[in-house]
Order: sequence, then structure tokens, then C-alpha cells
Amino acid sequence: MEVIRETRAVCPVCLRNLPARLVRQADGRIELDRTCPAHGRFRAVVWRGKLDFAQWSAGSAPLAPDAGLRCPERCGLCAEHETESCCVLLEVTRRCDLHCRFCFASGGEAGADEPPKEKLLAEIRDIAARCGGVLLQLSGGEPTLRDDLPELVRAAKEAGCGYVQLNTNGLRLAREPAYAQRLAAAGLDIVFLQFDGTRNAIYEQLRGAPLLREKLEAVRVCAENRIGVTLVPTVVRGVNDGDLGALVALAASLAPGVRGVHFQPVSYFGRCPGPATEKARYTLDELLFDLHTQAGLPLEAFLPSRCDHPLCGFHAAFLIGAHGALQPLTTAVPPTGRSSARENRAYVARRWMRAAPEEKPATGGEDFDSFLYRVRHESLTLSAMAFQDAGNLNVERLHRCSLHVYDGGVIKPFCAKYLTPMP
Amino acid sequence: MSEEKKLICGRCGVPLVMRQVRFSYMNRSFGHEVPTCPKCGKPYISRALAEGKMAEVEIMLEDK
Repeated sequence: MEVIRETRAVCPVCLRNLPARLVRQADGRIELDRTCPAHGRFRAVVWRGKLDFAQWSAGSAPLAPDAGLRCPERCGLCAEHETESCCVLLEVTRRCDLHCRFCFASGGEAGADEPPKEKLLAEIRDIAARCGGVLLQLSGGEPTLRDDLPELVRAAKEAGCGYVQLNTNGLRLAREPAYAQRLAAAGLDIVFLQFDGTRNAIYEQLRGAPLLREKLEAVRVCAENRIGVTLVPTVVRGVNDGDLGALVALAASLAPGVRGVHFQPVSYFGRCPGPATEKARYTLDELLFDLHTQAGLPLEAFLPSRCDHPLCGFHAAFLIGAHGALQPLTTAVPPTGRSSARENRAYVARRWMRAAPEEKPATGGEDFDSFLYRVRHESLTLSAMAFQDAGNLNVERLHRCSLHVYDGGVIKPFCAKYLTPMP
Repeated sequence: MSEEKKLICGRCGVPLVMRQVRFSYMNRSFGHEVPTCPKCGKPYISRALAEGKMAEVEIMLEDK
């Protein structure tokens, strides 16, 4: 056993801020280890030793000894926070037409009041004023249950939000193409489409219904309206961790309508089916390794987050070749270095939005025009975000979070806002 | 091309002609026609090309 980092974490029972350590076990696993005076010792695996931890996390620095002592119970971005807002999430409803097994927002619970449009418009203006050019994610609940969603999208663009993204299960887009058309006309840039896999059995387990056909229809409708689609699977061991290669192949076949896949290893907050066991935890290095083996993609194509903490996610861009073969675009990039929220936002917008239509260059070779055409229309971005829950929350990571949530006038890191005690 | 007619090589004093030039960056190589001196082989990179397509290609290859 070797201590590799001092940090801070929380008690998964009472959420009290505690000193913690990252500890490497003899088998290469790395655990977050801390002891609550009231509830005892807790450990959570955060890395399984499939990749070199030190190399992957080289772009990070330990917390100062006096930092992070109040995180996250008094959270709202404070002077200690290291990263500005790349994306700000706004919940526009608590209602939902699904009742998923896992839901960070506990959407669809009874008794939730619908926020009035005027309140949301004022919040959107406040976000735009405080975080100029921000990527605004309209989330929920299921935001498409609001008939006035196109008005919110339009207001966000008019207020100065750089990009507007819709976090959705896609069902209404599939069933009511005219609604998608209204969203596109209002200026919606990106649909973050809940899309867990290529088989109905996966949706039945995670979402309670066989939804594949409707998901594919939602992709078609968005493509028709030139709204860029990012497929967003929640990856759960034993449910869809064996489907990653098939999902990447499907995504490539749906380009340029589909611009990327954004993997989210399951986290245990909000509504979830029970505490995370050691076996259930699906770590970032496992996801990388599974993508490498199932999709045949080189590990060096994947780069750690540069804006958020390296342990929070990765990204990789590929050109789509003949028969869907993926050729890495960015293998020569050094794995360290920081990028600002502004740079990160420009990157995700470039990678996730649909490009304007243009004629394919006749040359078709390795020249500037052909390359740029391929990047804009024949490419796919694979990325991931590993959210933190009360079991594995590492304050060092939280300090670098650029994905924020607008919560009644306070802007909070996503994993602080949705933190809930372990069930 | 009109640009070709206007440009003269400062060193050799001869008009530039359009030639295919290879540009290499971050493990990739691209061909592009640019005005080039037929005598010394020096290409002329216009500001529009440097700040336009070349910059865009660089951004795509540089990650963030």
C-alpha cells in the first residue's frame, strides 16, 4: 500500500468534509480512503491500474494544505475555485416522461413545481451576463416536456449565450419533428441525447422501456434540422460496458448527424438503485481500456481533460474512413497542459455542432480543403465525464470543475450541486 | 491566377508560378498550391492562407 496523494473527500453518509488519501494497493488499484469520526472508514476505487495513473494525471496538482476545507457544503464558486464556467446547466423542469433507474437529477419525482417561464428567462439573462459566451445546457427533468422550450432557446441566444445545448431523452423530438424544427429555428446548437447502447435490452434495464427505435428517430430528426447530436450513454457494468465498441461503430455510421459520443460512467447520486459496491464502480481507465479493446482504438488517441481535472474525463477526435474505420486526429498532442474554459468551450462547440453545408472538394486527398471538409463532416469525437458522488468525491477534482449548475442565483460545480448521501 | 502574375521573387527577380507544396504539421502532411519561385523554390504564403485554412488546420490538429 502506497499513499500517492493527500486530498479531501466527504463522508458518504453525512457528507462531512474529511482529510483523505489516494492509496495505491498492491494490485495496482487506486482507492480514495478516508475516515469519518461518526461513521467510520470508507474506501472507493477510483482507478483500476489499466493505465499509468501518474502519466494520465500529470496535468494536475495537489490541493494546498489549507484548501478545500469547506467543500462542498458551502459551495458556490469561491476564490479557491480554479476554473471558470465552460458550460452552465439550468434545470427548466423537474417533470419527466421516463423514470430511469439512475438519474442524477431525480427527475419525475411527484410534487415538483414547474418553474414559470418568466423566472427562467430572468435566470438565463443572469447566466449570460455573469458568464459571457457560455455554453448553456437546458436540462431537467426532461426539458422537452415544456412547450415553451424554443422561447427559452431563443432568449438564451439573444442574451449572449454562445451555444445552447439540450439535454434530453429525445422522445418528443422523435415523436414530434415539428417541435425539433421549432428548436432549430430558435437557435438550438447541440442535442445531448441520452443514448445508452445499440440494443433494446440496455434501454429496458436502464430506462424501463425498449427505446432504441425512438432514439434513432430522434437522431434522424435532429440531422434533418441540422442540430448536432452527441450520444450520451450512462455506462453501467454488466448492462452496457460490453456494448461500447458497437456504440462507437453505430455513431460513426450516423455521422455527420451524430458528431460525438460522450460516455458517462455511472455515478451514485440522485436516484440510483443502491450503494456503489467495489465491483460496480466503473472507473475512467476501465472505460478507456474497454474503448481501446472493443473499438480497436489506440490509447494514445485519448487525451485527459485539460480544462477540468484529468481524472474527470477525456476526449479524442477521429476522422471516419472507409467502412467506418476511425483514424485518430490528435495523437501528437502532449498529454499535459491546461486549457481555459473559453478554449474548452470553443473545442466542444467545434466538435459537437453541425458545420454549415458545403460541397465536398473534388480532390479528395490530403490537402487543406479535403482535410477541413473531413473534419467538419466526416469525423467523430469520443469524450467522457466521470461524475463524482459521495463515495468517490475528491475535492482536488471538484476545484477544477468547469461544468456548473445555476441553482437559484448561485453557480455551483455539477458534482457539488447533485451530491447526495449514499443510499 | 492573378496573384501569380503580380508576385515576383525578391531574391531571384522572377515571377512566381503556382506549384503544389507539401506542408507538414503534427505528423500530418498536406498538399496545397501556392505561388512559388521557379528558380529558388521558395513558396509565398499569403496572409489569407496563413490566417485562414492553415490556421484552421492547425487548430484541428492541436486539440485545444
